Amino acid sequence: MRRLLGLLVIVLFITLFALVIASGGLGYEVPPLRVRELARQFLIYAYNPFNTTFTAKSPEAVTSIVWDFRGLDTLFETLVFYLAIIGALSLYRGVESERRTEVISLGLSPIVKTVTKVTTGIIIAVAASIALHGHLTPGGGFQGGATAAVAPLLILIVFSKYFLENLGLRKNVLLALRSIGLLGIGMTAFSALIVGLMANSPAYVFQNQPKPDAPVGLPAYIGDSLISGTLWFFNFFEMFAVAAGFTVIFLLLGIPEGEILKQLKEEAEEH
Amino acid sequence: MLEVIAIYLGQALIAIGVFCDLIAAIGLLRFPNFYLRLHAATVGTIGGAFVPLIGAALLAIGSTYLGAYRWFIAGGALVTAIIVLILAPAGSHALARAAHRSRAAVVEPKVVDYLEEDEVSKSG
Repeated sequence: MRRLLGLLVIVLFITLFALVIASGGLGYEVPPLRVRELARQFLIYAYNPFNTTFTAKSPEAVTSIVWDFRGLDTLFETLVFYLAIIGALSLYRGVESERRTEVISLGLSPIVKTVTKVTTGIIIAVAASIALHGHLTPGGGFQGGATAAVAPLLILIVFSKYFLENLGLRKNVLLALRSIGLLGIGMTAFSALIVGLMANSPAYVFQNQPKPDAPVGLPAYIGDSLISGTLWFFNFFEMFAVAAGFTVIFLLLGIPEGEILKQLKEEAEEH
Repeated sequence: MLEVIAIYLGQALIAIGVFCDLIAAIGLLRFPNFYLRLHAATVGTIGGAFVPLIGAALLAIGSTYLGAYRWFIAGGALVTAIIVLILAPAGSHALARAAHRSRAAVVEPKVVDYLEEDEVSKSG
Protein backbone atom coordinates (compact mmCIF):
# COMPACT_ATOMS: atom_id res chain seq x y z
CA MET A 1 0.00 0.00 0.00
CA ARG A 2 2.82 2.41 0.98
CA ARG A 3 4.76 1.53 -2.16
CA LEU A 4 1.65 2.14 -4.25
CA LEU A 5 1.19 5.54 -2.59
CA GLY A 6 4.82 6.46 -3.28
CA LEU A 7 4.46 5.39 -6.89
CA LEU A 8 1.27 7.44 -7.20
CA VAL A 9 3.03 10.56 -5.83
CA ILE A 10 5.96 10.14 -8.24
CA VAL A 11 3.68 9.61 -11.26
CA LEU A 12 1.50 12.58 -10.27
CA PHE A 13 4.57 14.80 -9.81
CA ILE A 14 6.01 13.85 -13.20
CA THR A 15 2.64 14.35 -14.92
CA LEU A 16 2.09 17.78 -13.36
CA PHE A 17 5.68 18.85 -14.08
CA ALA A 18 5.33 17.75 -17.72
CA LEU A 19 2.01 19.64 -17.92
CA VAL A 20 3.63 22.81 -16.55
CA ILE A 21 6.52 22.59 -19.02
CA ALA A 22 4.23 21.74 -21.96
CA SER A 23 1.96 24.72 -21.21
CA GLY A 24 4.97 27.07 -21.25
CA GLY A 25 5.42 27.50 -17.49
CA LEU A 26 9.19 27.76 -17.89
CA GLY A 27 9.00 29.52 -21.26
CA TYR A 28 8.83 27.71 -24.57
CA GLU A 29 12.59 27.41 -24.92
CA VAL A 30 14.28 25.65 -22.00
CA PRO A 31 16.89 26.93 -21.39
CA PRO A 32 15.73 30.30 -22.72
CA LEU A 33 17.56 31.58 -25.78
CA ARG A 34 17.22 35.21 -24.73
CA VAL A 35 18.55 36.80 -21.54
CA ARG A 36 15.68 38.24 -19.53
CA GLU A 37 15.43 42.02 -19.24
CA LEU A 38 16.27 42.16 -15.49
CA ALA A 39 19.31 39.90 -15.94
CA ARG A 40 20.40 41.98 -18.96
CA GLN A 41 20.30 45.17 -16.87
CA PHE A 42 22.47 43.62 -14.15
CA LEU A 43 24.93 42.22 -16.69
CA ILE A 44 25.24 45.65 -18.31
CA TYR A 45 25.67 47.58 -15.06
CA ALA A 46 27.90 45.16 -13.08
CA TYR A 47 31.09 46.32 -14.80
CA ASN A 48 30.53 49.35 -17.00
CA PRO A 49 33.17 52.10 -16.97
CA PHE A 50 31.00 54.31 -19.22
CA ASN A 51 27.91 54.32 -17.03
CA THR A 52 28.85 56.01 -13.75
CA THR A 53 25.26 56.10 -12.47
CA PHE A 54 24.80 52.42 -11.72
CA THR A 55 28.04 50.50 -12.19
CA ALA A 56 29.62 48.52 -9.34
CA LYS A 57 32.91 48.06 -11.25
CA SER A 58 32.90 44.32 -10.56
CA PRO A 59 32.74 41.69 -13.32
CA GLU A 60 30.97 39.33 -10.89
CA ALA A 61 27.27 40.19 -11.22
CA VAL A 62 26.22 38.30 -8.08
CA THR A 63 28.68 40.10 -5.81
CA SER A 64 27.70 43.43 -7.38
CA ILE A 65 24.05 42.73 -6.59
CA VAL A 66 24.70 41.35 -3.12
CA TRP A 67 27.07 44.01 -1.78
CA ASP A 68 26.27 47.05 -3.94
CA PHE A 69 22.85 47.11 -5.63
CA ARG A 70 21.10 45.63 -2.58
CA GLY A 71 23.81 46.10 0.03
CA LEU A 72 21.40 46.98 2.84
CA ASP A 73 19.52 43.68 2.38
CA THR A 74 22.79 41.82 2.72
CA LEU A 75 23.66 43.76 5.86
CA PHE A 76 20.37 42.65 7.42
CA GLU A 77 21.00 39.06 6.30
CA THR A 78 24.39 39.24 8.01
CA LEU A 79 22.69 40.58 11.14
CA VAL A 80 20.23 37.66 11.14
CA PHE A 81 23.15 35.22 11.05
CA TYR A 82 24.82 37.02 13.96
CA LEU A 83 21.60 37.11 15.95
CA ALA A 84 21.41 33.33 15.60
CA ILE A 85 24.95 33.04 16.97
CA ILE A 86 24.21 35.49 19.78
CA GLY A 87 21.19 33.35 20.67
CA ALA A 88 23.36 30.24 20.88
CA LEU A 89 25.96 32.08 22.95
CA SER A 90 23.44 33.40 25.46
CA LEU A 91 21.98 29.89 25.72
CA TYR A 92 25.42 28.48 26.58
CA ARG A 93 26.61 31.27 28.89
CA GLY A 94 28.07 29.98 32.11
CA VAL A 95 28.69 26.55 30.60
CA GLU A 96 32.45 26.13 30.92
CA SER A 97 34.31 22.95 30.16
CA GLU A 98 37.68 22.16 31.70
CA ARG A 99 40.85 23.04 29.84
CA ARG A 100 43.83 20.78 29.32
CA THR A 101 47.37 21.52 28.18
CA GLU A 102 48.46 17.89 27.74
CA VAL A 103 46.88 16.93 24.41
CA ILE A 104 49.46 14.84 22.55
CA SER A 105 47.80 11.48 23.28
CA LEU A 106 44.28 12.63 22.35
CA GLY A 107 42.50 12.56 19.00
CA LEU A 108 42.55 10.18 16.08
CA SER A 109 45.53 8.16 14.81
CA PRO A 110 48.81 9.77 13.59
CA ILE A 111 47.89 8.99 9.96
CA VAL A 112 44.74 11.11 10.10
CA LYS A 113 46.55 13.82 12.08
CA THR A 114 49.31 14.12 9.45
CA VAL A 115 46.81 14.33 6.59
CA THR A 116 44.80 16.95 8.50
CA LYS A 117 47.96 19.03 9.01
CA VAL A 118 48.48 19.06 5.23
CA THR A 119 44.87 19.72 4.26
CA THR A 120 44.17 22.43 6.85
CA GLY A 121 46.63 24.74 5.09
CA ILE A 122 45.05 23.95 1.72
CA ILE A 123 41.56 24.67 3.08
CA ILE A 124 42.64 28.06 4.48
CA ALA A 125 44.29 28.95 1.15
CA VAL A 126 41.19 27.98 -0.86
CA ALA A 127 38.95 29.92 1.57
CA ALA A 128 41.09 33.04 1.23
CA SER A 129 41.02 32.69 -2.55
CA ILE A 130 37.21 32.32 -2.60
CA ALA A 131 36.70 35.36 -0.37
CA LEU A 132 39.36 37.73 -1.74
CA HIS A 133 38.46 36.97 -5.38
CA GLY A 134 34.75 37.28 -4.57
CA HIS A 135 34.44 40.37 -6.79
CA LEU A 136 36.11 38.61 -9.75
CA THR A 137 34.90 34.99 -9.67
CA PRO A 138 31.88 33.23 -8.12
CA GLY A 139 32.22 33.16 -4.35
CA GLY A 140 32.44 35.85 -1.75
CA GLY A 141 32.83 36.56 1.93
CA PHE A 142 30.19 34.19 3.29
CA GLN A 143 31.32 31.28 1.13
CA GLY A 144 34.98 31.91 1.92
CA GLY A 145 34.25 32.17 5.63
CA ALA A 146 32.18 28.98 5.63
CA THR A 147 35.04 27.19 3.84
CA ALA A 148 37.59 28.56 6.31
CA ALA A 149 35.45 27.32 9.23
CA VAL A 150 35.95 23.73 7.99
CA ALA A 151 39.62 23.92 9.06
CA PRO A 152 38.95 24.45 12.81
CA LEU A 153 36.12 21.89 12.58
CA LEU A 154 38.59 19.30 11.24
CA ILE A 155 41.08 20.17 13.99
CA LEU A 156 38.29 19.90 16.57
CA ILE A 157 37.41 16.38 15.42
CA VAL A 158 40.86 15.01 14.55
CA PHE A 159 43.02 16.56 17.28
CA SER A 160 40.42 17.24 20.04
CA LYS A 161 38.74 20.32 21.46
CA TYR A 162 41.57 20.93 23.93
CA PHE A 163 44.07 21.23 21.06
CA LEU A 164 41.93 23.84 19.29
CA GLU A 165 41.61 25.84 22.50
CA ASN A 166 45.36 25.62 23.11
CA LEU A 167 45.93 27.01 19.61
CA GLY A 168 44.33 30.22 20.89
CA LEU A 169 40.97 29.70 19.17
CA ARG A 170 39.02 30.14 22.39
CA LYS A 171 35.49 31.47 22.62
CA ASN A 172 36.45 35.02 23.59
CA VAL A 173 39.17 35.30 20.93
CA LEU A 174 36.72 34.16 18.25
CA LEU A 175 34.06 36.55 19.52
CA ALA A 176 36.57 39.40 19.28
CA LEU A 177 37.49 38.34 15.73
CA ARG A 178 33.81 38.19 14.81
CA SER A 179 33.21 41.64 16.27
CA ILE A 180 36.18 43.04 14.33
CA GLY A 181 34.68 41.57 11.16
CA LEU A 182 31.27 43.11 11.89
CA LEU A 183 32.87 46.46 12.74
CA GLY A 184 34.78 46.31 9.45
CA ILE A 185 31.54 45.70 7.53
CA GLY A 186 29.95 48.68 9.29
CA MET A 187 32.95 50.92 8.66
CA THR A 188 33.00 49.92 4.98
CA ALA A 189 29.31 50.76 4.67
CA PHE A 190 29.98 54.25 6.06
CA SER A 191 33.39 54.78 4.38
CA ALA A 192 32.14 56.81 1.41
CA LEU A 193 29.95 58.90 3.71
CA ILE A 194 32.88 59.66 6.04
CA VAL A 195 35.08 60.64 3.08
CA GLY A 196 32.23 62.79 1.74
CA LEU A 197 31.76 64.56 5.07
CA MET A 198 35.47 65.34 5.28
CA ALA A 199 35.60 66.53 1.65
CA ASN A 200 32.39 68.49 2.18
CA SER A 201 30.60 66.76 -0.71
CA PRO A 202 27.36 64.79 -0.84
CA ALA A 203 27.68 61.03 -0.29
CA TYR A 204 25.50 58.04 0.53
CA VAL A 205 25.59 55.23 3.06
CA PHE A 206 26.59 52.00 1.24
CA GLN A 207 28.00 54.04 -1.63
CA ASN A 208 30.60 52.18 -3.68
CA GLN A 209 31.58 54.02 -6.87
CA PRO A 210 31.28 57.81 -7.45
CA LYS A 211 27.80 58.82 -8.63
CA PRO A 212 26.88 61.89 -10.72
CA ASP A 213 25.39 63.69 -7.71
CA ALA A 214 27.89 62.30 -5.17
CA PRO A 215 31.37 62.47 -6.64
CA VAL A 216 33.20 60.70 -3.78
CA GLY A 217 33.60 56.92 -3.72
CA LEU A 218 36.10 54.18 -3.19
CA PRO A 219 38.72 53.51 -5.87
CA ALA A 220 37.93 50.61 -8.19
CA TYR A 221 41.61 49.87 -8.77
CA ILE A 222 44.60 49.80 -6.41
CA GLY A 223 47.59 49.87 -8.70
CA ASP A 224 46.60 47.53 -11.52
CA SER A 225 44.49 45.26 -9.31
CA LEU A 226 40.71 45.53 -9.53
CA ILE A 227 39.23 45.67 -6.02
CA SER A 228 35.79 47.08 -7.01
CA GLY A 229 35.73 49.72 -4.29
CA THR A 230 33.86 48.53 -1.19
CA LEU A 231 33.21 45.00 -2.49
CA TRP A 232 36.70 43.68 -1.65
CA PHE A 233 36.51 45.09 1.88
CA PHE A 234 33.01 43.71 2.46
CA ASN A 235 34.16 40.25 1.36
CA PHE A 236 37.33 40.46 3.46
CA PHE A 237 35.56 41.39 6.71
CA GLU A 238 32.62 39.06 6.06
CA MET A 239 35.06 36.16 5.74
CA PHE A 240 36.48 36.81 9.22
CA ALA A 241 33.08 37.36 10.78
CA VAL A 242 31.53 34.22 9.26
CA ALA A 243 34.54 31.96 9.91
CA ALA A 244 34.75 33.08 13.55
CA GLY A 245 30.98 32.79 14.01
CA PHE A 246 30.82 29.23 12.69
CA THR A 247 33.87 28.22 14.74
CA VAL A 248 32.25 29.56 17.93
CA ILE A 249 29.20 27.39 17.24
CA PHE A 250 31.38 24.33 16.56
CA LEU A 251 33.24 24.96 19.82
CA LEU A 252 29.98 25.24 21.75
CA LEU A 253 28.51 22.10 20.21
CA GLY A 254 31.73 20.09 20.57
CA ILE A 255 31.89 18.07 23.78
CA PRO A 256 35.43 17.44 25.08
CA GLU A 257 36.32 13.74 25.02
CA GLY A 258 37.56 13.89 28.63
CA GLU A 259 34.06 14.53 29.89
CA ILE A 260 32.55 11.81 27.69
CA LEU A 261 35.11 9.27 28.94
CA LYS A 262 34.38 10.24 32.54
CA GLN A 263 30.66 9.82 31.94
CA LEU A 264 31.15 6.44 30.26
CA LYS A 265 33.35 5.24 33.12
CA GLU A 266 30.78 6.26 35.73
CA GLU A 267 28.04 4.46 33.83
CA ALA A 268 30.20 1.33 33.54
CA GLU A 269 30.84 1.37 37.30
CA GLU A 270 27.16 1.66 38.08
CA HIS A 271 26.38 -1.56 36.23
CA MET B 1 53.20 13.14 -31.63
CA LEU B 2 53.63 13.63 -27.88
CA GLU B 3 50.10 15.07 -27.74
CA VAL B 4 48.65 11.97 -29.42
CA ILE B 5 50.42 9.73 -26.89
CA ALA B 6 49.09 11.88 -24.02
CA ILE B 7 45.53 11.62 -25.39
CA TYR B 8 45.66 7.84 -25.80
CA LEU B 9 47.26 7.40 -22.37
CA GLY B 10 44.65 9.68 -20.82
CA GLN B 11 41.79 7.79 -22.46
CA ALA B 12 43.28 4.48 -21.27
CA LEU B 13 43.47 5.79 -17.68
CA ILE B 14 39.87 7.03 -17.84
CA ALA B 15 38.81 3.59 -19.15
CA ILE B 16 40.60 1.99 -16.18
CA GLY B 17 38.71 4.43 -13.95
CA VAL B 18 35.36 3.42 -15.42
CA PHE B 19 36.23 -0.26 -14.86
CA CYS B 20 37.27 0.41 -11.25
CA ASP B 21 34.08 2.38 -10.55
CA LEU B 22 31.97 -0.47 -11.91
CA ILE B 23 33.86 -3.01 -9.79
CA ALA B 24 33.52 -0.76 -6.74
CA ALA B 25 29.77 -0.35 -7.26
CA ILE B 26 29.28 -4.12 -7.58
CA GLY B 27 31.48 -4.65 -4.52
CA LEU B 28 29.52 -2.15 -2.42
CA LEU B 29 26.31 -4.00 -3.28
CA ARG B 30 27.56 -7.56 -2.92
CA PHE B 31 30.25 -7.66 -0.21
CA PRO B 32 29.02 -9.14 3.08
CA ASN B 33 30.57 -6.93 5.81
CA PHE B 34 31.61 -3.34 6.54
CA TYR B 35 35.37 -3.76 6.05
CA LEU B 36 35.02 -5.47 2.68
CA ARG B 37 32.60 -2.80 1.50
CA LEU B 38 35.09 -0.15 2.70
CA HIS B 39 37.69 -1.88 0.55
CA ALA B 40 35.35 -1.67 -2.43
CA ALA B 41 34.74 2.03 -1.70
CA THR B 42 38.48 2.75 -1.73
CA VAL B 43 38.77 0.94 -5.06
CA GLY B 44 36.19 3.47 -6.22
CA THR B 45 38.10 6.48 -4.87
CA ILE B 46 41.65 5.58 -5.89
CA GLY B 47 41.01 3.49 -9.01
CA GLY B 48 37.83 5.31 -9.94
CA ALA B 49 38.73 8.93 -9.08
CA PHE B 50 42.51 9.34 -8.77
CA VAL B 51 43.41 7.38 -11.92
CA PRO B 52 40.82 9.00 -14.26
CA LEU B 53 41.76 12.46 -12.89
CA ILE B 54 45.35 11.84 -13.98
CA GLY B 55 43.87 10.66 -17.28
CA ALA B 56 41.85 13.89 -17.57
CA ALA B 57 45.02 15.92 -16.94
CA LEU B 58 46.84 14.03 -19.73
CA LEU B 59 43.83 14.41 -22.02
CA ALA B 60 43.81 18.17 -21.40
CA ILE B 61 47.56 18.41 -22.09
CA GLY B 62 47.03 16.56 -25.37
CA SER B 63 44.15 18.82 -26.48
CA THR B 64 46.21 21.53 -28.21
CA TYR B 65 43.10 23.31 -29.57
CA LEU B 66 42.43 24.57 -26.00
CA GLY B 67 45.52 26.79 -26.21
CA ALA B 68 47.03 27.95 -22.93
CA TYR B 69 43.87 27.00 -21.01
CA ARG B 70 44.74 23.30 -21.24
CA TRP B 71 47.45 23.87 -18.62
CA PHE B 72 44.84 25.31 -16.21
CA ILE B 73 42.61 22.26 -16.71
CA ALA B 74 45.54 19.87 -16.38
CA GLY B 75 46.81 21.65 -13.25
CA GLY B 76 43.37 21.60 -11.64
CA ALA B 77 42.91 17.91 -12.39
CA LEU B 78 46.38 17.07 -11.09
CA VAL B 79 45.93 18.99 -7.81
CA THR B 80 42.51 17.38 -7.28
CA ALA B 81 44.03 13.97 -7.98
CA ILE B 82 46.80 14.50 -5.41
CA ILE B 83 44.31 15.73 -2.78
CA VAL B 84 42.09 12.68 -3.41
CA LEU B 85 45.17 10.47 -3.15
CA ILE B 86 46.01 11.94 0.27
CA LEU B 87 42.49 12.19 1.70
CA ALA B 88 40.82 8.93 0.62
CA PRO B 89 43.20 6.55 2.48
CA ALA B 90 43.11 8.75 5.59
CA GLY B 91 39.32 8.76 5.57
CA SER B 92 38.95 5.02 5.07
CA HIS B 93 41.63 4.40 7.71
CA ALA B 94 39.77 6.57 10.24
CA LEU B 95 36.48 4.81 9.43
CA ALA B 96 37.94 1.32 9.71
CA ARG B 97 39.84 2.11 12.92
CA ALA B 98 36.81 3.69 14.60
CA ALA B 99 34.52 0.84 13.51
CA HIS B 100 36.94 -1.81 14.78
CA ARG B 101 37.79 -0.11 18.08
CA SER B 102 34.17 0.61 18.95
CA ARG B 103 33.18 -2.90 17.78
CA ALA B 104 30.35 -1.29 15.84
CA ALA B 105 30.98 -3.45 12.78
CA VAL B 106 31.24 -7.21 13.25
CA VAL B 107 33.97 -8.98 11.26
CA GLU B 108 31.80 -11.75 9.88
CA PRO B 109 32.58 -13.85 7.80
CA LYS B 110 36.13 -13.78 9.18
CA VAL B 111 39.26 -15.48 7.85
CA VAL B 112 41.77 -13.76 10.12
CA ASP B 113 41.74 -10.64 12.37
CA TYR B 114 45.23 -9.90 13.72
CA LEU B 115 44.08 -6.65 15.34
CA GLU B 116 41.54 -8.47 17.47
CA GLU B 117 44.10 -11.14 18.41
CA ASP B 118 46.51 -8.38 19.49
CA GLU B 119 43.86 -6.76 21.66
CA VAL B 120 42.91 -10.09 23.24
CA SER B 121 46.54 -10.98 23.99
CA LYS B 122 47.17 -7.50 25.44
CA SER B 123 44.17 -7.45 27.72
CA GLY B 124 44.87 -10.82 29.13
